[in-house]
Amino acid sequence: MTRTEHRILRPAEHILDEFPERTEFDVVVIGGGPNGLIAAAYLARAGLRVALVERRQEIGGGLSTEETLFPGYYTNPHAFYHMMTDYLPVLSDFDLRAHGLYFVKPNAQAAALFSDASSLMLCHQIEDTKDSLAKASPSDAAAFGRVMRTWRRIVEDLLAPGTYLPALSPIDMIESLERTDVGREALRLTEMSPVEIIDETFEDDRVRALMLYVACMWGLDPRESGLGFMVPLMIDRAMNKAQCYGGSHKLAGSLSREIHKAGGVVLDNAEVTRIVVAQGAVTGVECFDGRFLGAKAVLSSLAPPLTFGKLIDRSEVPEEMSEAAEHWEWDKWSLCTLALATTADPRFEVDDPWVNDALMVVLGFDSTEDVLGHYDAVATGELGDRLGGHATVETRYDPTLARISGHHVSFLQIHAPYDVEGGWETRGAEISDELLELWRRHQPGLGDSEIVLRSLETPVDIETRIASMVRGSIKHGDYNPLQMGAFRPSASCVAGRSPIAGLYLCGASSYPGGLVIGGPGYIAAGSVVEDMGVAPWWQAPSFVRRYQEQYLS
Amino acid sequence: MCGCLAGWGVHVHDERFDVVVIGGGHNGSTIAAYLAKSGLSTCVLEARPECGGGQENTEVRPGFRIDPHATYLYGGAAPGFDQLELWKYGMRMVYYPSMAGLVTLDGQAANMGSRWRPDLAEESLARYSPADQGGTGRIFDELGEEGSRDLLRALFWTPPLPPKMEMDPADMPWWKVFRERLPQFWFDQLLDMNYLDFLDEFVHWEPLKVLSAIGAWYCGAHPAWDGMMLQALGGTLLFNYASGAPRGGMHTYAHAIVRCALAHGARIITNAPVGEIVIRDGRAVGVRLSDDAAFGEKTIWADKAVISAIDVQHTFLDVIGQRHLDPSFRQRISDISLKGGSLFVMSVICRELPRYHGRADAFPDEVYPSCVVAPADSLEWVRIQTRDSYSTRTGPATLEPEHLTMMICTHDVYDSTRSVDGFHVLSPIYLEMPPPEYDVHGPDGVNRQKEEITRAALGLLERLAPNMTGENIVDVFVNTPQDSEFRNTGLVGGNWYGIRQSEDQWFGNRPLPELGRYRTPIDGLYLCNQTSHPGGLCLMAVPYNLMHVLIEDGIADPGSWWYPSSFYVPDPSAQRGAAS
Ligand SMILES: Cc1cc2nc3c(=O)[nH]c(=O)nc-3n(C[C@H](O)[C@H](O)[C@H](O)COP(=O)(O)OP(=O)(O)OC[C@H]3O[C@@H](n4cnc5c(N)ncnc54)[C@H](O)[C@@H]3O)c2cc1C
Ligand SMILES: Cc1cc2nc3c(=O)[nH]c(=O)nc-3n(C[C@H](O)[C@H](O)[C@H](O)COP(=O)(O)OP(=O)(O)OC[C@H]3O[C@@H](n4cnc5c(N)ncnc54)[C@H](O)[C@@H]3O)c2cc1C
Repeated sequence: MTRTEHRILRPAEHILDEFPERTEFDVVVIGGGPNGLIAAAYLARAGLRVALVERRQEIGGGLSTEETLFPGYYTNPHAFYHMMTDYLPVLSDFDLRAHGLYFVKPNAQAAALFSDASSLMLCHQIEDTKDSLAKASPSDAAAFGRVMRTWRRIVEDLLAPGTYLPALSPIDMIESLERTDVGREALRLTEMSPVEIIDETFEDDRVRALMLYVACMWGLDPRESGLGFMVPLMIDRAMNKAQCYGGSHKLAGSLSREIHKAGGVVLDNAEVTRIVVAQGAVTGVECFDGRFLGAKAVLSSLAPPLTFGKLIDRSEVPEEMSEAAEHWEWDKWSLCTLALATTADPRFEVDDPWVNDALMVVLGFDSTEDVLGHYDAVATGELGDRLGGHATVETRYDPTLARISGHHVSFLQIHAPYDVEGGWETRGAEISDELLELWRRHQPGLGDSEIVLRSLETPVDIETRIASMVRGSIKHGDYNPLQMGAFRPSASCVAGRSPIAGLYLCGASSYPGGLVIGGPGYIAAGSVVEDMGVAPWWQAPSFVRRYQEQYLS
Repeated sequence: MCGCLAGWGVHVHDERFDVVVIGGGHNGSTIAAYLAKSGLSTCVLEARPECGGGQENTEVRPGFRIDPHATYLYGGAAPGFDQLELWKYGMRMVYYPSMAGLVTLDGQAANMGSRWRPDLAEESLARYSPADQGGTGRIFDELGEEGSRDLLRALFWTPPLPPKMEMDPADMPWWKVFRERLPQFWFDQLLDMNYLDFLDEFVHWEPLKVLSAIGAWYCGAHPAWDGMMLQALGGTLLFNYASGAPRGGMHTYAHAIVRCALAHGARIITNAPVGEIVIRDGRAVGVRLSDDAAFGEKTIWADKAVISAIDVQHTFLDVIGQRHLDPSFRQRISDISLKGGSLFVMSVICRELPRYHGRADAFPDEVYPSCVVAPADSLEWVRIQTRDSYSTRTGPATLEPEHLTMMICTHDVYDSTRSVDGFHVLSPIYLEMPPPEYDVHGPDGVNRQKEEITRAALGLLERLAPNMTGENIVDVFVNTPQDSEFRNTGLVGGNWYGIRQSEDQWFGNRPLPELGRYRTPIDGLYLCNQTSHPGGLCLMAVPYNLMHVLIEDGIADPGSWWYPSSFYVPDPSAQRGAAS
């Protein structure tokens, strides 16, 4: 290894002014993922002097759009499906459309395509979904219509608002949910596992397979009880996914523009190597190049093993946080994505042509057994003998991703263990071929000459690009009852406040959790203004206020 | 389903700004920063997902960032750094103890150091060419810090003379500085020389001539272009002056500029290609976005000016309705020469740095040259490659060493953010190629030979550095001049300056004499792209120069932070506004 860091060369001549070695801010945010950006945008607009410090050259974290198919084709290698655009407070509190931020939310949402070319589809509209489910089972179609009347209310009345408020303790949570029928149904589901809920609701095995896949694809354990209330959320959100026009990074870019507009600073290529704590209170952060940014408050979007295990001097870490860091469980599985640039329009052979308009098409599973086998294998570090995952043609609704018009960019993503047997370095090429095989089973006409470029983004690659996603953890930590709700990341952290004075947690490892839902960043920003005695310029959205009145007053 | 936020944001109609800038590349973002800081409401419309244009870094492989186009910061002497206070927006540099080295096929390897480490060049010359000690290097020494800055500002950060103004060539700002600062080097013939003549006069060692010639070709002017001796030398001076790169790569520099613009209230909209400039009664009043732009309202109005920061040919041949232009003007626009400077860019990810001629001590790690020109055997080879690239070749590119001089850059030796521990990224590796527009084998001539050229270049690299074997090399990424054009429509010809940087297309002649002061035949429309003076490189120079004109025209009225070029000659006929 041969690297001469620049600190060695400090020329005597003055060429140009640089960002100073020492600076002072009110707030420093570590990590420019969706949560760090959201927190920084709210705080900067509140009049605080904010610096957002990001390790990569581009802010965005999971919100990335990059030319991974070089030259000429952009992909969204991480977050692609935006599932909370109906609720995200940033979208109404800021005028992000002024920056050209648009989401496309097609009616054709999530389809399952089976080996015999038959299909089922979840549409945004419930009646359209019922039409498709009825192909397999008219009674499931009817059951779906019925159950969604309650499930949508669970989402709308309880879970969506809860995403933007601090976690309730389990006792308070039960007390408040007991107040209504919808709340009591959510409590009943909580005690069930996803498999139990889906088996109870649907009869047809293919309908169950699709529902189980979309319920668990973001990390719910199919057989674990305790988080069953999330099944309605996952299925409802699977019918409400949106694509960010111009790429997911556009959301990051729009948020960063709000930070700059409000006088905030973004420092990129600046890995934080230390959070400086003195006498139990945070004083600032230090970057890899020696720069020090002083701050009254530091918000870390990194999980406890990084924030407390790596960045803070051991002697300054409170007992309960070093324990939380030590016992933290990373995600059970990660994702592995094959990206393709093609000259041809990728269209599957399928009984219902509308499936080709779906934002997401699940391939490779014919039964619940297949789906369960897949999740079980991945959770134990294998890929299983049956590869399956979800496919998306990214250019279907966003032609800007391909620099040559008429060309297409697509991906096929599977759940995958970080420690795959044999290692990703060795197995990558073979897995990439298998994924392409799977694709071609449904589109036999896709010839080699039509594939311009392809690339594979493995769990190890995810961690390499985005250091916060240790072991490829897309949510910075497993979803299990001990790491959810008021326990995320630890019962000692309430509303984003850590036990260290001035240190807040604002990333996916905090309540309510991962994905581009914006909760952790929004909640932490609220706590910071409260603690600093700054009047918040924003107000909770109406759906949150309604919930507060009904359930929390 | 309440869809509470279904109607989030306001759908804006009839957006109006003082100034609309087409293209958010280096020059577009910079003029936006200048204008926003001057208090004008400014909107930048950029076609791609990111601003920066040629200032781009791409993480093609996780953890590895390549430079598909621009790689060095040449703009150290730009007034923009303090006028725009880029330091506030995260601007940071990495300075290199060694900027350049050269390697020949016949076993020589010389480290030429940098301005911070002149001892390295002295040592190399003592070894290979004692006669060159104190050669061209002396020019830089004599100029000193202040003189270098002066000369550079005269060459690059000075608006062309007002139209119709005559000036004796020897009185041109750069020659004036040269004569005053370097009287002992001055003689009349310099005015008509090209850089090759100059090298013949002042340099003895052939490989050093090659290094200088290639250096000039990649950042100044081609060494064989007449009357461009000082411009060619100026490239070397720019390179030497800043001696480094922005932390993380050129795109970080673009970030600082864009953030400065935003902080001063500019609106920057990406994925917003402009399809047409709206012209009414001969005046540019706004733009229309292409239908696929990520913006609701497709017409955006400009009350004071439209600034085209895309290249001159796209400006006049694509986004302006042809009914607004006369045929002779259109022809002159199509005839602007794009030749030269088209680059075939390879990026190689490897485990070990190249060890030239198998000698690890040739370039020790602490002073590893950030770029190596190789093979630097003969100036004749540079001439051969010039003929190849300017399409006077008769067959397909021949791939012998004399056709393949490379400039091999390695920034990650000094900047850990660019790669992963245990690996290196050699990026960019530049080779000169014909521009697609002039390739006798068709615009995709080079693309058809892409693999073959890559193989030959890698073969040559292994011949020069035996450790560059297939085992050492992990990945290779290539963009040809044609690829650069479609990835980034601003980069016409896939070259580093847009249009040829020859005397016919320089200073007041760039891109055409009637467009030489950034004004156009269409009122309210100004040019701010590398296709105007002083051409390519990310120098913040085109916008700085244009500011003088916008002030003359009463459009911009910057605050006390502004200072004009000391060589600026105001236009007596256009004193419409608050010219300083
Ligand atoms: C392959 C993949 C697919 C996904 N698909 C979806 C999807 O479709 N929909 C969805 O909603 N979500 C998806 N996600 C998940 C989503 O991207 C994350 O949960 C989300 O980005 C978490 O946001 P965050 O802000 O908490 O953290 P992150 O996005 O992880 O951001 C943290 C930031 O901190 C930076 N950082 C790390 N270490 C340091 C340091 N020491 N100093 C400074 N900065 C540092 C990182 O570079 C990063 O930018 C996906 C993730 C992956 C990997
Ligand atoms: C291979 C190569 C190597 C180089 N090396 C260096 C170097 O080392 N150092 C250095 O300083 N410079 C270098 N350069 C030169 C430098 O990159 C350019 O001079 C610089 O980028 C020019 O800036 P610009 O703003 O004039 O044009 P561009 O950077 O081309 O920007 C034009 C912008 O306009 C956008 N655009 C185009 N059409 C439209 C439209 N219709 N609507 C909206 N937007 C549009 C484009 O997407 C682009 O972003 C190099 C260039 C190349 C190609």
